[in-house]
Amino acid sequence: MRDTMKIFVVLSAVMIALTVAWPGGLLPAFAWDDEDCESCHGEPSISEEGGAYLFVDQARFERTSHADVGCTSCHESVSEDHPDDEQRPSRAGCGECHDDIEAEYGQSGHAENADCTDCHNPHYVHPLVGVSGIDVNCTCMECHEEEDVVSTHGVWLPQTILHIRALPCIACHTASEEYAVTFYVESMKEGMGMNPTASPATHDELMALAKEGEDVASIIDLDADEEISFEELQTFYHRGRAYDLRLWGMMTPEEATHSYTTLDNRWDCSFCHAKGPETVQKSFVALPGPHGGYERIPVHGEAALGDLFGSPDFYMIGATRSRILTLLGFAIVLGGLAVPVFHGTLRLLTMRNRRREK
Amino acid sequence: MQEEQEKIYLYPTPLRIWHWLHAFAIVTLIVTGAEIRFPEYVQLLGNYKASVRVHNAAGIMVAFTFVMWFIYYAFWKRNLFRIYIPSIEDIRHGMIRQALFYGFKFFRGDPNPHHVTPENKFNALQKTAYMAVMFVFVPLVVITGVLLLNVAPLRDMVLAVGGLNFLMGLHWVLACIFLAFLITHLYLSTLGSTPWAHFIPIWTGWEEVENPPHEET
Repeated sequence: MRDTMKIFVVLSAVMIALTVAWPGGLLPAFAWDDEDCESCHGEPSISEEGGAYLFVDQARFERTSHADVGCTSCHESVSEDHPDDEQRPSRAGCGECHDDIEAEYGQSGHAENADCTDCHNPHYVHPLVGVSGIDVNCTCMECHEEEDVVSTHGVWLPQTILHIRALPCIACHTASEEYAVTFYVESMKEGMGMNPTASPATHDELMALAKEGEDVASIIDLDADEEISFEELQTFYHRGRAYDLRLWGMMTPEEATHSYTTLDNRWDCSFCHAKGPETVQKSFVALPGPHGGYERIPVHGEAALGDLFGSPDFYMIGATRSRILTLLGFAIVLGGLAVPVFHGTLRLLTMRNRRREK
Repeated sequence: MQEEQEKIYLYPTPLRIWHWLHAFAIVTLIVTGAEIRFPEYVQLLGNYKASVRVHNAAGIMVAFTFVMWFIYYAFWKRNLFRIYIPSIEDIRHGMIRQALFYGFKFFRGDPNPHHVTPENKFNALQKTAYMAVMFVFVPLVVITGVLLLNVAPLRDMVLAVGGLNFLMGLHWVLACIFLAFLITHLYLSTLGSTPWAHFIPIWTGWEEVENPPHEET
C-alpha cells in the first residue's frame, strides 16, 4: 500500500511538473518583448558595438505598422542568450506577409536589381500617404542619378526639371489610377537635390509657426476642423513667406503598385493637363510629424484642384485655370469682336453714303 | 481743287518681313495657346505636347521679331518715337478727329482726315494703339512667356514677380488682348478705299494715296 502511495505521489509530481513547465503550460517559456529589445537597440551607442544597423530609432519605429506586430514576429529565432550566443537572429522575408506585393514585384525588372529592403527600411517604412513625394524620389535616386533621369526624360518631356520636381517617379511608373495633389511645405533656406533653393521643411521649422501648446497642424488648419479651406491655404502662404516657407504641390498616386508599369495613358499629357479629370480633384496638405513621416490633412472640396489659387506658385496648365480670368479673357475678346460687328453693321447700312461721295 | 492719286513706298522689305513673321507667330500662338488652356475643347494639333512645343517656338519667334522691329526703327531708321508715340497735336486734336471719323464721319462718306506718308504712317489712334501693343503688351507677353518657358531654372524670378498663378493669369489676359487687337486690326484694315486697299501695301510695300492739295504735316 505504501509503495502504491509512493508511486502515486511521484507520478502526481511528474504530472504537475509537466503541466507547469510544458510549452503552453502554466509556466511561460522565455520570450523577449519589445521593451527588452528597445532597452539595447533603442540606444544609439549600440551602433558602436556592431554597426549602425543595430540601432532602431524607437520614435520612428513606433509610427510604422511593423511596430504593431512586434520585434520577434520578424526576428523569431532570437534566443534567451542573445546577444551572448553571438547568433544573429533570423529575419522574416517580406513575402511572408506581403506575398501579393512580392509576387508583383518579382515580375518587374526592378526585382533583378534591388531587394525590398534596398528601398524600404522595415523599421521606418510608412504607407504611401505617410511619406513626401520628395522622399519617394530620394529613394529612386539612390540608384537612378538625377542627371540621368533629367537627360533621358528631357528628350521628350517639356519642362523636365519642373515635372521631375512636381511628380514622384511613381506618379507615372505605377499602375495607380487615382491621384491627388499633395502640398508640402518647403523651406527656402537651403536647397536639396534637384532644387537649389528649397528643401522639405522639417517639423521643428514648422513648429515655429504653431500655436502655443498645439501640434503642427495648427500652422495651417487655423480653425482646427481637420480640413484646409481656400482661405487657410492663402493665409498660410502669405504668413509662411516671413519664415522663408512656401507650399509646393506634387501630384501623388493614391496607390503604390510595385509593377513599375507605365500605363499608356501616362504618355498623354492631357491625362493630367486637363480640367476636370476626377483623378486629380483631391488635394491634401502633408505636414511632417515630430518623429518622421507625414500626416495628410484634406483640402476642402471648394478649394480642390480647379481653384487652388491658395498657393500662388502652383499651376498646372490646362488643369488649374481660373474661371474668373477665363471669363475676363472672353470679355476682352468679345470687346474686340464688338468693333467689326457694330461698326460693320453700320457700315453696311450706310454703304450708299460712301458710294455717293465717290 | 482735285485730289491726285499717288503711290508711296510705305513699308520697306524688312518691315514687311517683320510684320508677316509677327502675324504668323501671333496666330500660331493664339491657336496653340487655346489648345494648351482648353485641352478638353480645343484639339487642333491633336497632341498636347506638340501644342506646347509649337507654342514655345512661336513665342521665341515673337521675341525675335520684336527685337528685329526695335532695332530697325530705333537704330536703323531712328524714328521709332516719331512713328509710334502720339505727338501733342495728336493728343489734343488728332485722336478726337480720328475717333469722330471712325465713329461718325466714315458712315457719312467723309474722307479719312489722316494722310499717310512714310514718316507719318499712322493716325493718332493707330499710334496710341500700336504704342500700347509694341511698348507694353508685346514686351509683357514676351517676358511672361520667357519666364514660363522653363520654370524650374527661373523659379526665383517667377516668385519675385508674383508666382506662377500670377504669371499665367497675366499671360492669358495679354493673349486675349492680342486676339481682340487682331480682330480689330483686321477689321479696321478693311476701311480703306476698297476692302483690300490697306492689305496690299503691307504685302507689296506700295500704297496708293489720295493726297489733297495741302498735305497734312
